[in-house]
Amino acid sequence: MRDLERKSRAAFDESVESLDAATRSRLARARAEALSELRRRGMNWRSAWVPAGVAAAAALAGAVLIVGNDATGPETPPSLAALEDLDIVTDGEDLEMFGEDQEFYAWAAGEIGDEVG
Amino acid sequence: MNRSATLTALASPIDRCSRTQERSLNQERALERFLAGIERRAFRIAQMALRDRAEAEDAVQDAMIRLVRSYASRPADEWRSLFYRILKNRITDLQRKRKVRSVVQAWWSVGDAEDAPDPVDSAVDPSGSPEQELEGRELLARIEEVLASLSGRQREAFLLRNFEGLDVAETAVAMGCSEGSVKTHYFRAVQALQLALGEWNS
Repeated sequence: MRDLERKSRAAFDESVESLDAATRSRLARARAEALSELRRRGMNWRSAWVPAGVAAAAALAGAVLIVGNDATGPETPPSLAALEDLDIVTDGEDLEMFGEDQEFYAWAAGEIGDEVG
Repeated sequence: MNRSATLTALASPIDRCSRTQERSLNQERALERFLAGIERRAFRIAQMALRDRAEAEDAVQDAMIRLVRSYASRPADEWRSLFYRILKNRITDLQRKRKVRSVVQAWWSVGDAEDAPDPVDSAVDPSGSPEQELEGRELLARIEEVLASLSGRQREAFLLRNFEGLDVAETAVAMGCSEGSVKTHYFRAVQALQLALGEWNS
């Protein structure tokens, strides 16, 4: 690098370092504004999928727990069964997206219905 | 199918959601770090290109928003050249608007004191005054003057290569031209600066 390039780069770096507080603050606000755009977009995506997925999962989990408790009978204390189910629900498994398993859930509901009936 | 398997399958949307949330949180943190690391240099570069503080701030903010909106999902090592590409386009837009404005103003002969650059804005920021620092500021002020007289492409090449430290390939992406073109514009910019600033180049 030539001397002029080196000197000009150093002078530029110096001018960046000595930026006044007001400008630094405005730039930080601009950054926050840009990142809030990202959050808004994320919220839009989640608001479309999460409530539907979680509500459906919760409804089915509730149905399974209620019916399951009836079916298991007195040999399994209800509170222990609930804890065991909670572990299973909170345990991480890499499975397909909820929306892609519609057929499975329909089938599972049918199975539960058969057991009860 | 037994009850455990059914419940395990039911856990999938919750897991997927939390993983997605974690990913977007990581992406947001990475973008925050990137923007925090680049914003001041980008502002100074925009300021030198536009010679206007308020417009430079607007250009940087706009570039940040557009990067986040359109390129957040691109690999992080592409963000810098993409950001400068957006910033360069924004600067070009502002320069065009300014040109149109000045033509209209000349037509209506309304160029008055309001249009003159604010001396406070163009003043060098005060922060101590060692001799070397003063020399650096004087040099930078002279460089800004010379850069203003260069072609837009030469100025861009110099600002991005020398001040921002982009390599030739990144500069080519940012400028939207070939690497050979970057080398030519940069070489000519340095040549012009050397000619104009002979006394500094020793």
